[in-house]
Amino acid sequence: MKAKTDLPDSELLRLMLAGDEESFTLLYRRRQGGIYRFALQMSGSPQVAEDVTHDVFLFLMKDGNVFDAARGSVSSFLFGVARNYVLRRFRGDHATVPFADDEEDQDFDRETNVPGPLDDLTRAETIESVRRAVLSLPEKYREVVVLCELQELSYGETAEALGCAIGTVRSRLHRARSLLHAKLSPSGEQTELESSTAVESARCFA
Amino acid sequence: MNCQRFESIASELARNQIMEADVRSEALAHSAKCVNCLARLRNEEMLTRGLNALATGMNSLEAPPALEARLVSAFRQPQVIVPMPVMRGRRFYWLAAAAAVLFIIFSVSTFRWHREQPAPHEARLTPPTPVKNVDGPAPQQIQTPKQPVFAVKSDDKPKHQPRRNVRGSALQAKAVITPNKDINSNHASEVATEFMPVGYWNAAALQDGGQIVRVELPRTTLASFGLPVNMDRYNEKVKADVLLGVDGMAHAIRFVQEKRLQ
Repeated sequence: MKAKTDLPDSELLRLMLAGDEESFTLLYRRRQGGIYRFALQMSGSPQVAEDVTHDVFLFLMKDGNVFDAARGSVSSFLFGVARNYVLRRFRGDHATVPFADDEEDQDFDRETNVPGPLDDLTRAETIESVRRAVLSLPEKYREVVVLCELQELSYGETAEALGCAIGTVRSRLHRARSLLHAKLSPSGEQTELESSTAVESARCFA
Repeated sequence: MNCQRFESIASELARNQIMEADVRSEALAHSAKCVNCLARLRNEEMLTRGLNALATGMNSLEAPPALEARLVSAFRQPQVIVPMPVMRGRRFYWLAAAAAVLFIIFSVSTFRWHREQPAPHEARLTPPTPVKNVDGPAPQQIQTPKQPVFAVKSDDKPKHQPRRNVRGSALQAKAVITPNKDINSNHASEVATEFMPVGYWNAAALQDGGQIVRVELPRTTLASFGLPVNMDRYNEKVKADVLLGVDGMAHAIRFVQEKRLQ
């Protein structure tokens, strides 16, 4: 007989909804880390991350039967629920949006990124600057960066979680990385524009 | 490969995403020739390393252990558990729709069946009781031994009650009751008016029972109820059925005439 630890998420969910506490515990331990980190990377607040994780698994207890295996994995389903709770927090409490793309952040970037964070990304300060840059992205770009880059979900899984097409994920990620380049470069947006112009002119000779 | 094409796949290349081997080799070959594209690729690779470092640094973060205890506690509360429905998908909805249709059919047929039942306010008359008679000899009551309980359908009640100057007591006094031993057998050969109220009509008075008595009245009595009188036969009698309550009072009357043979 198969041990419960070897069961797939969907089976654990089925058992959990039938009232099996052990299945719930296993599923929670298997997925809580990713959900917590996703909420933390999206919000920048450990308190929000904890609340969102709590809400996601409470939702799973009450309304877990809405999960449809034909539409994706349990993991994607949970990320989708978490994303909705995070966005709800953003809309309900603007104070939880930790970093706006304002002058203060630009100053912070300039101070910490001299001579430039991309020169030495292994340093802790630089990791912190990347974290802040990710947090400063608009929501729709931030969520694809968090899911694809930080949670290492595939394009397909990310599309399932966000409820959009794979092409949308791909294009948003491309745009998000461009924005991150701009934020992490010492000269900001200008560098991106210059880079685009350079590519534009070089294309003629390639 | 040109720079525009390289630009579109630079991040995929830096992230080591799966792509066709030919495209990868062409892109690397192009970056070897193009300084800008090479710089672009290096930037993408550094960004990827930075994001990977961030992901690695946060990889150990987990929800507080107290959260698990709270959720398990919530899980143990019975109202939280919602059993997964046995049937899912379209089959469930089809069955639900079929059940709804059956329920509607059952409701309609039950409603119709109730409407087809006889009216509940059917007046049941008790076996005949002696009739009080104020003047003259006591009238002979019409016995119906084979059918002691004589039901009067609601159709026999006066549907239209025109205002008339009715004098029930006078009618009762003048009534000359003649025996008719086979009143039921005459129904087929008789035509009758509807029961018309005599005096104050109170259907509640008939709930305790009553009695129909065949009488003969002067033909001029028809005029008292607004019915036409054939003056050529004004001195003749006319038959009538009087509905008596348990109090012995006349409550309604209908006039009876034998059918004429064609």
